[in-house]
Amino acid sequence: MDTRTKEAVRYLGYGNHAVDGQTLELIRDSFEELDRVADKRIIYRIFDVNVTENESLDIGKLHITSRNLSKNLCGCKEAFVLGATLGIGIDQLLRRYSLTDMSRAVVIQASAAAMLEEYLDTWQKETAAKLEAEKQYLRPRFSPGYGDFSISHQEMILRMLNAEKSIGLTLTNGGMLNPTKSVTAVAGISRTKERCPVHGCEACRKTDCAYRRET
Amino acid sequence: MLRDRLGKELLFFDGGMGTLLQEKGLQPGELPEVWNLEHAEEVMEIHREYYKAGSDIVLANTFGANALKFHDDRYGLKEIITAAITNARKVADKITAEEHREVYVAMDMGPTGKLLKPMGDLSFEDAYETYAEAARYGEEAGADLIHIETMSDTYEVKAAILAARENTSLPVFVTMIFDEKGKLLTGGDVPGVVAMLEGLRVDALGMNCGLGPKQMMPILEDLMKYTSLPVVVKPNAGLPKQKDGETYYDVEPEEFAEYMRKIVDMGGCIIGGCCGTTPAHIREMVNRCRDMQIHEPVKKTDTIVSSYGGAVVIGDKPVVIGERINPTGKKKLKAALKEHDMDYILKEAIMQQDNGAHILDVNVGLPDIDEPAVMVEAIREIQSVTSLPLQIDTVDETAMEAAMRIYNGKPMVNSVNGKQEIMDQVFPLIKKYGGVVVGLTIDESGIPDTAEGRLEVAQKIIKEAAKYGIDKKDIVIDVLAMTISSDPDSARITLDAVKLVREKCGVRTVLGVSNISFGLPYRPAVNSNFYTMAMQNGLSAGIVNPSSEDMMRSYYSYCALMGYDENFETYIGKYGNRTAEATAQSTSQSAEITLSSAIEKGLKEEAHLITARMIGEGQKPLDIINQELIPALDKVGKGFEKGTVFLPQLLMSADAAKIAFSVIKDSMSGDEVMEEAQDKVILATVKGDIHDIGKNIVKVLLENYSFDVLDLGKDVPPEKIVETAIEEDVKLVGLSALMTTTVISMEETIRQLREKKPDCKVMVGGAVLNQEYADMIGADFYGKDAMQSVYYAQSVFGRES
Repeated sequence: MDTRTKEAVRYLGYGNHAVDGQTLELIRDSFEELDRVADKRIIYRIFDVNVTENESLDIGKLHITSRNLSKNLCGCKEAFVLGATLGIGIDQLLRRYSLTDMSRAVVIQASAAAMLEEYLDTWQKETAAKLEAEKQYLRPRFSPGYGDFSISHQEMILRMLNAEKSIGLTLTNGGMLNPTKSVTAVAGISRTKERCPVHGCEACRKTDCAYRRET
Repeated sequence: MLRDRLGKELLFFDGGMGTLLQEKGLQPGELPEVWNLEHAEEVMEIHREYYKAGSDIVLANTFGANALKFHDDRYGLKEIITAAITNARKVADKITAEEHREVYVAMDMGPTGKLLKPMGDLSFEDAYETYAEAARYGEEAGADLIHIETMSDTYEVKAAILAARENTSLPVFVTMIFDEKGKLLTGGDVPGVVAMLEGLRVDALGMNCGLGPKQMMPILEDLMKYTSLPVVVKPNAGLPKQKDGETYYDVEPEEFAEYMRKIVDMGGCIIGGCCGTTPAHIREMVNRCRDMQIHEPVKKTDTIVSSYGGAVVIGDKPVVIGERINPTGKKKLKAALKEHDMDYILKEAIMQQDNGAHILDVNVGLPDIDEPAVMVEAIREIQSVTSLPLQIDTVDETAMEAAMRIYNGKPMVNSVNGKQEIMDQVFPLIKKYGGVVVGLTIDESGIPDTAEGRLEVAQKIIKEAAKYGIDKKDIVIDVLAMTISSDPDSARITLDAVKLVREKCGVRTVLGVSNISFGLPYRPAVNSNFYTMAMQNGLSAGIVNPSSEDMMRSYYSYCALMGYDENFETYIGKYGNRTAEATAQSTSQSAEITLSSAIEKGLKEEAHLITARMIGEGQKPLDIINQELIPALDKVGKGFEKGTVFLPQLLMSADAAKIAFSVIKDSMSGDEVMEEAQDKVILATVKGDIHDIGKNIVKVLLENYSFDVLDLGKDVPPEKIVETAIEEDVKLVGLSALMTTTVISMEETIRQLREKKPDCKVMVGGAVLNQEYADMIGADFYGKDAMQSVYYAQSVFGRES
């Protein structure tokens, strides 16, 4: 089973149970459909990082107070600010299947989440490789809404990236990214190679989560 | 004066603004429009450089100047826009005095930064108001035109155009961002965009941003194929490149200017630059292009309708218009419209699309119905599940206008006819909003009983339309098919009339095909043969039932026979695997399992066949439900709770059960109505929240357990939930929210419900919620998964088993 399929199974709440054949088939179908419909786009820029005081920092015009992010960016002079999306077609697909085929809608939802993560992981790997050639190191990405990094920063992040114009990524009044299968994140650039801390799911402190990745 | 020069001479726009401002110190994330007040000199300097470089039109620094982006800033919107236009105006007037040439200031309007409903949370009306306000300030401050640019959503652009046209008297230019495949971010294509913009009567259209001049050429070629208007081309200085996390563009002025010469050769006649272009680019472009002759715009003749997803060209190859969303003679649809069951209508829409329709007719006309309101809602909802263009079908003038206004694209409109009164009503709407209108060959003296008589009415309609500037490409004639059972000559007259109208008027034709057999037995046989004959006589668009095998067989065969199906791709795709035994086999397979196991396993087709068979064998509906369906659902539900069945499986079973239920319902005659669900439950995703998948899961399951779910959708204001709860006397409301920011609306909804409908219970669910949180906001119940909500609903209505 490839990584994205495994992740989709996890998002569907299977935990450490084996996935059934019918669902697996549905996941395969969903990825096929998503490959056709997804319009992957990414935009990123590098900004200076200034730690202003305890647990506060500036990334370009972003003024953030966050212990988690300060820790994540500790020692970084610069950071990528990025936005990525799979496009509005996925939302249209989900809406359609929600009416006609709910199981498919749920599987597409999970598969799209896995696809988006995979897309960002690929970017992360490629970017890290490029940086390493210049003896710089990329930290794991960190998104608003996780830990104490407030999602109220989304608006400024989108503006700094001109994300609406460049990749069609917008924000609702409730602070949600739209298209819904989108992320923004900050990823620090460090001069020293540190042992890469665990990232993503494993780093989260909600250890009783039904969707937690098995380690 | 500007209007007189359009399409007659080459006009030059300016180039990029953002990059130049950044060079002068603008920070990423800072609102550039604030500079109109705080750094007016720098902004004016950039305008001056562009005019000096030869620009005829300069965009004032108002790209993001709208109330949605300036919600809580230090300056008022009017102040910002007035300053922006005044800055540019001052420079323009000075240039006119110095160089003795007429130059212009454009009020620049970019996207709002929000996605419109149904995909986003900004309503069309609010988008309109946002642009209307900005456009008014722009005109008041002295702008010469309104330039709407960098748009990637046809709906947003429609709001902007209507706002500009209805609130100012300025010329309106529109440019969109296409990608290299010629698509908008929201999926639209070149002909679809052209059709809509021309329908809305803009003064010039084209593209900007996104691509460099070289990549724009193929798209320009496509634009030239479809548009009859002057074309604006404003490329970036090449494709964006990234270095050290910075975006840059590397097409130099000379290279840029050479490309722009080619672009003028291809037909571009208002040219400039976008991101990465500088006064140097514009100077070089002006120098090299100044003496070129432009191609004056050529009138195009294609009949095109569109939606946000693209265009349908009604040409030599016939297209299929789905007839199913029309209550005439359809009991279920009538009931759905009366009960406000939009889901039923949406499923009809999806089914017709899946069955091969190209355009969908939408008619919601019923006595005792608020037709304008229902029509608007139906159009909006249908456009949220299908990207097919729609045919707005109504005799209610108000409903017609309301629907045309909010339709996303260029609609087909059914209909006008030869009666003067009707033409006086309908043509002004077509002129204002754009559309392809169906012209019925009937007038004050009725339907002529000869082909020649119908031709005359068609000619009258076309002539009258011309008075409004409506071209005949935007008219399709319906010569009317009357049933042969009352007049044996009627098919012949209709077929002759189709041919005559095609030949003499050179317009496209449409017919409601199925009328022909009214009153006869085995109607599909007559219908499908008449359909083929009509196409052979020049029918461009048949209004038919795409779910009818016979009709679609005629259609696909006709296309294959006449060379409209390249390599028989569609035909083979449709019938390539067709064997007579296929159906028989699956029936015999399904005989081996029981209905309950089909449901447990989530096998939809089997559930359908077995249920139908059981009914055929005379089993009682209630027995099937109580002995097979419900026990199977219970078993799956329990498995889900125990962790042996997972969400996709639970839903597959639910979907299978749903199909079995609908087979049972269909089998019942009018008086033997199934014990209808009376226990009403409202479901809604709260205000500000656009994620509704969790709510939809709960809905499917509740419906399985025969609750009457009133689904209010997503981003639902508390007031609407309370109002519905009171109106329908609902005892249980289910609310969903995904994020901490929207749980606030959940809390507010609960507060209002407690106050105004205290006997109503509230259950909540969603990613960020837990028991503690649910208690804190005052919910009665926290559903940690979908089955829990079912159990809770059962307990609220005293249905525990």
